[in-house]
Formats: sequence, C-alpha cells, structure tokens
Amino acid sequence: MRNFLSRFWTYFFLTFITLSFANSSYAIDIKVWDLSGRSGQTELYEILDKEVKKYNPDINVVLVEYENEAYKTQIQLALNGNDGPDVFFNWFGEDSARLARAGLAMDLTDYKNMEGGYGNFISEAWQNAGAVDGKIYGVAIKAVSKYFYYDPAFFDQHNLSVPTTFNELLDTCRSIRAIDSSIVPWPMGNSERWKLNHVITMLNQRVVGAENSKADYALTASEDELFTNPKYVEAWQKVVDLQDAGCFNDAPNATHPDLTRSMFASQISPMMYCGTWCGNIFSSEGFEDFKMFRFPRVEGGADDGTVGFLVAEGLQVSTKTKYPKEAALVASLSVADDVALADAELRGSLISNPAKIDQMKDASHWFTFYVNDIADKSGHVNVLDVLLEANVSNAYLDMGTEILNRTKTPQEAMDFIRKVALEAKAAM
Amino acid sequence: MSKFKLANILAYGFVTLFSIYVMMPIVVMVLTTFKTRREIFLKPLSLPGQYNFISFEKAFGIGLGGFMFNSFIVTLFSVTLIVIISGMAAYVLARIDFKINKFVYLLIVAGFAIPPAAVLVPLYTTVSNLGLLNSIFGIVLPLTAFGIPFTVILFFAFFLDFPREVEEAATIDGCSKLQIFFRIIIPLSGPAIASAAIFQTVWIWNEFLLALIMLNLDNVKTLPIGLIKLRGEWTSDWPAIMAGLTIAIIPVLIVFLLFQKYFVRSLAGLGK
Amino acid sequence: MDKKSSHSNSFSLSNDRFSVIFLIVPALIFCTVFIFIPAFWVIIGSFYSFGLTSLNDWEWVGLGNYVKAAQDEFFWIALKNNFIIVFASIVLQVGVGTILAAILDRGIPYGKVIFRTIIFTPMVISSVAVSLIWLIIYDPNVGILNAIIKSIGLSPPMRGWLGDPNISIWMVMIVAGWQYTGFMMVLILAGLQGISKEVYDAAEIDGATGVSAFWYITLPMIRNILIIAILITTIGAFKVFEFIYILTQGGPSNATQVLGTYIFLQAFNLLHMGYANALSVVLLIIALILGWLQVQASRRA
Repeated sequence: MRNFLSRFWTYFFLTFITLSFANSSYAIDIKVWDLSGRSGQTELYEILDKEVKKYNPDINVVLVEYENEAYKTQIQLALNGNDGPDVFFNWFGEDSARLARAGLAMDLTDYKNMEGGYGNFISEAWQNAGAVDGKIYGVAIKAVSKYFYYDPAFFDQHNLSVPTTFNELLDTCRSIRAIDSSIVPWPMGNSERWKLNHVITMLNQRVVGAENSKADYALTASEDELFTNPKYVEAWQKVVDLQDAGCFNDAPNATHPDLTRSMFASQISPMMYCGTWCGNIFSSEGFEDFKMFRFPRVEGGADDGTVGFLVAEGLQVSTKTKYPKEAALVASLSVADDVALADAELRGSLISNPAKIDQMKDASHWFTFYVNDIADKSGHVNVLDVLLEANVSNAYLDMGTEILNRTKTPQEAMDFIRKVALEAKAAM
Repeated sequence: MSKFKLANILAYGFVTLFSIYVMMPIVVMVLTTFKTRREIFLKPLSLPGQYNFISFEKAFGIGLGGFMFNSFIVTLFSVTLIVIISGMAAYVLARIDFKINKFVYLLIVAGFAIPPAAVLVPLYTTVSNLGLLNSIFGIVLPLTAFGIPFTVILFFAFFLDFPREVEEAATIDGCSKLQIFFRIIIPLSGPAIASAAIFQTVWIWNEFLLALIMLNLDNVKTLPIGLIKLRGEWTSDWPAIMAGLTIAIIPVLIVFLLFQKYFVRSLAGLGK
Repeated sequence: MDKKSSHSNSFSLSNDRFSVIFLIVPALIFCTVFIFIPAFWVIIGSFYSFGLTSLNDWEWVGLGNYVKAAQDEFFWIALKNNFIIVFASIVLQVGVGTILAAILDRGIPYGKVIFRTIIFTPMVISSVAVSLIWLIIYDPNVGILNAIIKSIGLSPPMRGWLGDPNISIWMVMIVAGWQYTGFMMVLILAGLQGISKEVYDAAEIDGATGVSAFWYITLPMIRNILIIAILITTIGAFKVFEFIYILTQGGPSNATQVLGTYIFLQAFNLLHMGYANALSVVLLIIALILGWLQVQASRRA
C-alpha cells in the first residue's frame, strides 16, 4: 500500500509541475492581443511577423484573439496584471486615452522616426489619431465607418428610392411595411446595446451638431449646462420615430446584432445600418449585390449630412512589457507598406497607410466605395461608447435600451444621462 | 389494478409534464445541430431536413477537445487536492479537544459562505502577483481553496461519527498518529471521499467565474469559458453552437448515467 | 491502557502537536491566501475610491461608498432581484421539488428510477451550457418558444422574453428552476425514503391517507431536510451569476441585475473598484449570515 501510494504521489506531483511549466519558450515573444472573428487575421499576423523579422530576427509575433464583448474588460484586467499583452488592439478615443492617462499605455512619441518607426509610414493626421495631450500613445492602423446597406434589387422591384433625408427614411420604412407587413425594413439587434448607440451617435451629430456637443461629451461644460440642450432629447425622439414608422423588428433588445446581419445577407430584410466590416461578412454569407448610402441628414438639423461615423483603431503598447523597443517596433510595422496592403486585402481594413493601395488585388466594390467615400467626407464623429467617459457611456447605452422598450421617454432618458454626467464630472 | 386510481393518473401526469419540460431543451439542442441556418430562420418548429455532421466538425475545429482536456486536468487536480487537504483538516477538527477547535471550524464555515464574486479583484491581483495567471496551476489553487470549506464540513460530520476503536487499537499496536490517518482512516473513508469527490467534480467542471477572469489564453481555457468563446465566434451560427454544446454535455451525461446511483447516494448523505 | 469502554476522550490528537499542525496547516494556508486575505482587502478597499486603471491611487472616502450604495437605485434593484430569486426559487425549486419527491416516493408505483434520473440530469450540465441552450429557445426571431406560442394563436411579448423588463427576471427563473429543481427533488426524496413504512401504516389505521397523510405526517418528519434545502437554495440565490451574465447581462437596462453581476459591472466595466468592494462587503455579510444559519440547521438535523 505504501509503495503504491508514494509512487502515485510522486507521479502526481511530477505531472503537475511539468504541466505548469509547459509553456516556456526562449526567443523574444511579443504578444499581440486583437479581436477575434475577423477572417484573414491569422495570415495577416504571419505577414507582420515576417516584416518584423526583417528588422529584428529574434522577435516572434504571437497573436492572441478575444471576442469583442469580453475584450474591453479583459484588456483592463490584463494590463494591470503581470501576464498581459505587450501590444494590444484598442479603439482610439476615450478608451485609448484612459489607458494613456493611467500609465498603462506606453508613450510612443520617441519611436516615431526610428528604423521601422510608424512615422515612416503614416501621415501626421493619422499619427494624431492616436495622440493624447500632444503625445502619441498608439499607432492608428485603420478606421471603421458605418453605412446604410440596401438591396437594390428589392428597391427597384418596388420602386423605392434611396432616402436622402431622415423623413424620407421614415417614409421608406413605411412603404416597405405597406408592401408586406412581415418584412422588417431595418433589423435592429441591440442585445449588446451598441447597435443603437451607433445610431444615436449619428443622430446626435445630425441634430445637435459637433460644436454644440463637444463640451458635453468632454464633461467640460458648466454644471448648469451639462447635457441640457433640448436637441439631445430631439435626437432620442428620432429613434422613437424610427420605431413608430415600423423600421425595426419586435424585441430589438433581445435580438443579437449578428442575427440581423444574417437577415440582411439572406435578403429577408432590405436595409441595414452596418459597419465597414460588414461588407466582407455579407459576402461570406453569399450576398454581394448590395449598395450603400450615407446616414441621411436630418431636416432642420445642425449638420448637412456630410459628416460620417469614424472610429480609428490601432495598436497600443503596454507599459508593463519587458521589451518596450521590440513591442514598439511590432506596433509600428503594423502600418508598414506591405503589411498595410495585406491588411486591406485580408481583413478588408480601411488602412491608414495608402502607399500600396493601388496594388491591391481584387478590391471589392464595397471596399472601393468605402475608401472613396471616407476621403470625401468633410468630417468625422467618433462613436459614443468609445468617446465618452465610462459612466456616461454606460448611461447612453442603457438609455438606448429603455427608449426602444418605451420604458423611458426621451426627456427622461436625457435627465438620467445628465444626472450621471454630473456625478462623473464631480468625480473627475 | 386498484393501484391506478385518479391520484395515480394525476401523479403520473405531473411527473411526465415536468420530465418533458426537462427534456425539451436538450432535444431542441440536438435537433438544432442538424438544421441549416435558413431552416432555423424560416421553420423553427420543424424537424431538420437532413442529418449530417457538418456542425460537429465546426465545433471540434474551434478547439472544444482542448477545452475539455483542460477542464479535465483542472478538475482532476483540484478535486484531488481538495479531498486530501480537507480530509486532513477535518480529521484534526474531529479528534481534537482544544477550544481553538471551534474557532477554526467557524473560520472554515465562514470560508464556505464567501462567494467568489465578492472577492474577485483582490483574488485576481493575488494570482497575478504570484505569476500564475493563464496557467492551469493558477486556476487550480483558488478553486481548491474555495472547495475546501464545504468538503471539510462534510468530512467533519463523517469523522465525528467514525468510531475510535480502530484508532485506539492501532495506537496500541504502535502506529504513529500520521500513520493511522494515512493508512487506516483514509482507506475506510470511502463513502465520504466519494461524496466529496462527486460534489466537487460537478462544481469545478462547471465553474465559470474564476475561469473567466483568470484564463484568457486559448490553450488553458476550460470548457465553460470555451463555450462562451464559441458563442462569441458564431453568434448566429446556432447549429455550430448547439453542436459544441452537445459535445460539451455528452461526456458528463454519460458519466452521470453510469454512476447515478452514487450521485444520488451522496446527496442523501448531505441531507443528514 | 485497557480502555475498551472508550468513546470521545480515549483517542485524541490533542497531545500530538506535530500531527495536528501537519494535517491542518495546508487547509489553513489555502483558505487564508485565497479566501480570507482577499476578503480582508475587499473590506479595506471598500473605504477607498480607486479604479482599475489607477490601482495604486487609493483615495480615502470612509463610508462614502456605502452612502453611495444606499442612494444607488440599481443597488436596490439588484438586492431586490436577489430576494425575488430567493423566494421564487424556494417556491419553485423546493416547492415543486417536494411535490415531485412525494410523487416519486409513494405516488407512482412504477418508473421511479427513470423519472428521477431524467429530472436530475440538468444538474450535471454546466450552467453556462444551460443558459446558452435557453438563449436560443427564447430568441425572438428563431426561438421555438415564440414559434410554439404563435402556433397556438397567442402573441409573444413585443420586447422579447428577455428584453422585457417586466418578465425577464421570471424567464431567468425558469432557466434556474430547470436546472436545480431536480437537485431539490433528490435531496428531499432521500429524506422521504428515510421514513419507515410503519408510520404510514399506523396513520392509515387512523384514517389518514394520500394527501392528508403527506401534509400531517410526512412534512413534519422531513422538516430538517426542508430547512437545509431552503438554505442551500437561498445561498445559491445570492451566488447566482452565470444565468444572468449569459442570458441578459443584467439588462434590459439593469432590470435583471443581481449583486454578483452588479459588482462585476462596477468593478470591470465602470472601474469603480472601491464601490464594487463596498457592494461585495454587503454580499459578504449576507452570505456569512446565511452560512451561519446553515451550520446551525445542519447541527440540529
């Protein structure tokens, strides 16, 4: 009995200890965290790895992927711990600035013009997309925007025209329902709260305007004025109008965004407000004959409909990395000419370094549209859940849910947001 | 025949209805794996039109096998540690006369009441500072800690009832206290060990919260976190998700069906 | 040395310091490092304000976080939801579980083992898997629940089963009940099977059979098991996390928030670590009271 037991425990502990050391390696591994679910990403990182090795053959680029929802939480936890990434993806806005201010994202200003530095590849405008208080805390790789996608075959068949104003959009919805009340004109999948948030971002831009919202968003407005502009209420009312016109499906808060994408791709629904990442998704689900139009201007609104949704995205470097120079190099080279080209081809990204874009093989019709349309816009607005302070952002997300559920009126929603904003401002 | 009165019929009816309520989601899950996405959209109530294993291939492709292996390792190590450490501690508490006995026992019960959610952040920081994030070792240790209180209570009750004659006889024969514990008590504690092992295995196999926070790399993720990843990757590819769930559930179900007598018996022990 | 009469005091470890220490220290180390020290930090941290991105920047606020909790409508909603879950679970899981146990014990002559196995099965499935399965059942566009409701002519809720703040918590309860009722049933069944047949025979002589026998004879005899079942359910209701996290994430707009998920939201989404710690302390206190009750109850059983 004793022999058996002691042998058992010996093997037990040996196995235990071996398994816990199973993951050691010897070269310089630069861990890059990025979002999952994007086709072509693995190949892209292999190309980045090759590019990095031209400058420093000892570096291995190791990709770790996370799905979208968990990412925001995981990244904050990881950056505070000891086992986080060296380089990581982030949306550029409050999300990236917060990390910079907290000392968790590295200042990359000094690496701009080193050999392989990002300053060699992207314009100053793009560099500044990753800037906080004049210093650069991230390399902007690409941007995402949003458009209305529509099914021209359906529109032609029923003599519908592309709406250019908000009221025309309401009419389009009503017409579609009149054709067949079981068709959902514009499926809204808000179960993760951000789908409607993108819409209210645009509505705020169209109705309230960039100038009038700047101070509120940055929480620099005075306490008497913070989020008191009645135009914010009007923007929420537009959402109610959309819902009343029958644009959306029932139960939008219980519907997942991916499902609505499938509805458009299967041509069950003729319209969809979706990101520039959606073109490839529709194509992969078998639908390529779609077209796009911009978020319409609102009659009597504060802007003329040419400002579009734009969120810059890129890579930041963790201050806890053991290899700052190598990590900065990896982040920089992600916008190198060949890598940027590969990014456009593999992930369909709207890249920040257009040097080789003419060499792009088989640019899809939607990609060409995006690139041209973005260059054409007069200005850009960042999405609220990346732009706003965490609590205010959360409030906006929750109010979207309540507006769709009709559990709060637009005025009540803004009262709540104002309350949260005041608390956040006081805590600053 | 007189057994089948009205009361019996009602009784059967109620139990059958409840059993249908229990089985329906599992049946739905399995049938969904065989449907195509169009079928799910357009004809939710119908049976699948074809029976192939495409969705299962997808599910395996995402690494379910690896997640299950990780869960297996984590469960094996955690449960073993919990049973041994708890058994040792409970034996002391059951055989000692000091006043401090009560205090330690209460301390351990307090440990049982503390939910992981309430201590998540310092726990994360501790594991991180020990350099154990994203490692099997790193998840086994806290899981072991959280499983100890309940198991100590279980063993404590068992050892209290355990007659001391055997230990006395062994003492007379010249065995040291530790020898008595490891060579006599443990072999005779079969039922308690089985109960403890069953409870802890089910709990740890399904544990979610700690794994969510501590296991971020795919190569160490356990099954529940892997299932979430499944959903993140294919949110509207329901056949694939259901295939993944089916694969995840089947082994546990088989084990349960084979050993259900022991599961039930250990629960009966808990009630006492 | 011939103490054959022995019981409690004859064999004891009290004199063997080394053995005592060797046997008990591992458990104490584990619990201290991973349970008590974190709990201690949670309590200390509740008196400060700090965020995840400023972990070294602790600002003393005294009872400020607790005052904030008292004024926070979502904290009260979360607490209320925990209590709703407690009571609903007791009625559904323990109540229905008892009925099922009674039926399986003496209500049906055949098929006991089959029904018991079927109804207990959900217990061995991960709560995560359970939630994911029910997600597709509840889906407003492709779920079968909607399809069934429509096929019998009724119309499903416009905001969705999980998107409607009035019913979402109950839909979550249906999922929880699906998983845990079997557990309660088996637990109580074990207690019922401990009652000897003679008791029922004696009762029958006095004219009590069937339902009245159950009410006046059986229930009092399983009183202790019922108390334990209720306590286990209650403790579980305060620990609930997976169901809410996967089914609704606390939504729509915090309508299904519970303490566990609200702590998670405050700590990891909104970065109010100090505040999250205060909420955790509340949860700790409740949990400790329940734990103490559990110990008392099982001592008397």
